[in-house]
Amino acid sequence: QVLSRHKFAKVQPPEKPLQAEEWNRLRENFKSPEIFEDVMLNSMVRCNSPIDVAKSLLTSVAKSDGDIGYNLLIKYLALCVQQRKTAEICDVYDIMKMRFKILESGAYNLLIRGLSNSDQWRMALTLLEEVKKVTTPSRTNYESCIKAASRHREMNLACELYHEMLAKDLVPTLDVLQAFFDFSRGMKDAELKKELFGILLYLRENQIYPHRTFMRSIKLWFESIPGENWRGHLTNIKDSGQCPVCNHQLEDSDLTEEEYNNLRERIITDVIHGSDTFRKTSPQEFEAFQTFVEDRLPFDIVIDGLNVSHIRPRKMQCENNCECKSPQNSHFQGFVLKSSLLLEIVNIYSHLKSDSFKLFYAVNCLAKENVRLLVLGRKHMLINSSNWKQEIMKEIQNKADFFFAENISEDDAFLLYATLRSGKHCKFVTRDFLRDHKACLSDSLTRHLFRKWQRGHQIVFSPSAEGKHINFLPAFNYDCVVQTTGNTWHIPYKDTFEERYSYQVPRKWLCLQLK
Amino acid sequence: GTSHNPSEKLDLDEWKKVMKSGLQEVNETVSEHKELSTLAAARETVQMWRLAGRSVPENISEEQLKTFMECPSKSSKKKYLKYLHLKELYKKNDKRKMDEKRERRLETQEKASKTDEIKRNSFACLWANAIDKTHNWRAAQSMVFGQPLVFDMSFENDMSPREVANTVRQIVLSEGCNRKSVDPFHIHFCNFKDNSQYHREFIKHYREAWDKLLITVTDQCYTNVFPKDKIIYLTADSPKVMKTFDHDKIYIIGSMVDRSIKTGVSLAQAKRLGLETASLPLEKYLLWNVGAKNLTLDQMMHILLTLKDTGDWRKALEFVPKRKYCGFVGRSVY
Repeated sequence: QVLSRHKFAKVQPPEKPLQAEEWNRLRENFKSPEIFEDVMLNSMVRCNSPIDVAKSLLTSVAKSDGDIGYNLLIKYLALCVQQRKTAEICDVYDIMKMRFKILESGAYNLLIRGLSNSDQWRMALTLLEEVKKVTTPSRTNYESCIKAASRHREMNLACELYHEMLAKDLVPTLDVLQAFFDFSRGMKDAELKKELFGILLYLRENQIYPHRTFMRSIKLWFESIPGENWRGHLTNIKDSGQCPVCNHQLEDSDLTEEEYNNLRERIITDVIHGSDTFRKTSPQEFEAFQTFVEDRLPFDIVIDGLNVSHIRPRKMQCENNCECKSPQNSHFQGFVLKSSLLLEIVNIYSHLKSDSFKLFYAVNCLAKENVRLLVLGRKHMLINSSNWKQEIMKEIQNKADFFFAENISEDDAFLLYATLRSGKHCKFVTRDFLRDHKACLSDSLTRHLFRKWQRGHQIVFSPSAEGKHINFLPAFNYDCVVQTTGNTWHIPYKDTFEERYSYQVPRKWLCLQLK
Repeated sequence: GTSHNPSEKLDLDEWKKVMKSGLQEVNETVSEHKELSTLAAARETVQMWRLAGRSVPENISEEQLKTFMECPSKSSKKKYLKYLHLKELYKKNDKRKMDEKRERRLETQEKASKTDEIKRNSFACLWANAIDKTHNWRAAQSMVFGQPLVFDMSFENDMSPREVANTVRQIVLSEGCNRKSVDPFHIHFCNFKDNSQYHREFIKHYREAWDKLLITVTDQCYTNVFPKDKIIYLTADSPKVMKTFDHDKIYIIGSMVDRSIKTGVSLAQAKRLGLETASLPLEKYLLWNVGAKNLTLDQMMHILLTLKDTGDWRKALEFVPKRKYCGFVGRSVY
């Protein structure tokens, strides 16, 4: 039945109301007459047909059957909501209430959406109450009501509904939050101001970034606060974390002592052990690793060996590239000359392609004076093969500590542990976004801590455009999150509506100063 | 183009009058039941969804309704109702087919009685019974001489009730095809707890036959029943790939269906007990297309039985669902 509905979805609704007989004729010519009205009303909604056409269809149904099914009423209602026919919406609601004990969520969604956009918006609130009796209203139900209330400058009511929805663990849409700023512009109300600051802190706590138009609403609201002289500027924050407009130094992404310890504990319990230590490692192995780390603490950089060695700069990939063959022209030239060992072996073309070479290259990039490196790997790296040249592996082991996990263990978990155990200064290198590990953390608060820590401590790398070397992007010195000092606000925003990946952070900021 | 006589002008709101008229008595009964119990309200909601054209079962039992109400989210509620809806559809279809079959049988019987011809047959109509006996005899043989095959029943806590039910269903199918094979395995259920969810589900399927099954059921771990060095735990997560089927080894299959993503649960079990593991050489023989590498328990059983009888990987891996692979590796070469 579902399939056939799709098959006939392409029926063209008439442009003018028809008589019952005319509808009957259309119906008889339709391939499956039993769903004719369903299909017809669906296409009317899609084509946004005049409401009178739909009415004439309903009238023909009522004449022949003496009744109209709930499914048809809902579709008609959808058409009315689409065209904002308030009186019609109210009529349909009256009829539905008369015929059915309760309505289902689809009808309520339509009614609330339709009425909240009209002068009958208070009725939408009554309907919201009705929904609450049976189930939890959806966040769009709340969105409609909150927007309606704020549009009519009933900000207290809007705030009340907003808190109610937060208490029900519903996540407000950015639209709702923006509506608060849009409709509070120029209002002198201390309570309301507190609410709006609360929303900004909500963005901070949940690491949400407003988009450009939302940011503009925030800016305009700040600048409209009566009796206060806020000035907003759009800017890019320097790598040092200083705001070029007000010279304010942004917060760093360090966690507090308590947060840090909490995160470390949770990584051990949730990520490494989880429901079963054997799934990622084994108790013996983890204990051995802990002892290993304790003996050599603290590290400055922890490297995911396999991840780093799997990088494929474009030129490394191409097998017949003559450049690769001659050390003089090699794109590793500058680097090759530093190492006598490598000069010896670089003639062998396969070495350049081997994973061990790439790891060696990466370690050399990161190794500086007195920097303690830890490379995590798996045992199979210790077996001589075309990928893992043992001469190179030995050379790397001179520059960094190594821990080789079992081949079936997950080295990421060790990476997190070693970095967190080494202290706040310690960074880690991997291209992995660690999303599956973040997902192991059981509550959102810890997940936020994890992300904040990740932003400040992960060194991401990528091959440069020409493939000549690997770029290591340093971790941020400042935390990319909504922040305030009382007299200033700094709000990172997304430049476009397009969905940013969770690991990417915006580079553009709104700087607000109280003059 | 529609042209209608202006004399018979359309009353566009006529439907409203129809809907509102003659409904006064309905309205009164509605107001009487203003306060619905939560259960009744849920039933009413489901009914309304049905009217709205959603995938919802026509009939829903009290128990199902309670499960429905306990669903933690709206989407899980929807999913559950859709599941019930489909179940209902399948049941209805089956019933319709059965009825049609019966009708056809009655028709042919009628015809046969008309011709009034008595067929002589040296075998009495005891086919099914005789076959059952043969199968049971073979299974009994396997209980004494057969190669053991272990189902590890220790994953109950990693599964939802529906997953446990699916698992048991798959094991029942496996047991069936084992019994019907020429040279059956001696099936062991190890780590089996009485009154567990597994147990209750098995009784649902087998009823009285549960106690007469020619298999070994024990609460012991396989490590206590068999020498450790003979055991091989089969798991898709194993880094080791099975090369040949060994008639002297005891293969273990984890009795688990995981609809959610829980990788490495059975591998963890084998690691904990220090057992050898192996996975099927799916990549070696098949050009994998889509889907997870873990197979259902009855597919595993078919594959192992075929391997035991023939040692032919290609023949055995025919039991991997066709949608999961596009063909055999290098078939044309051989």
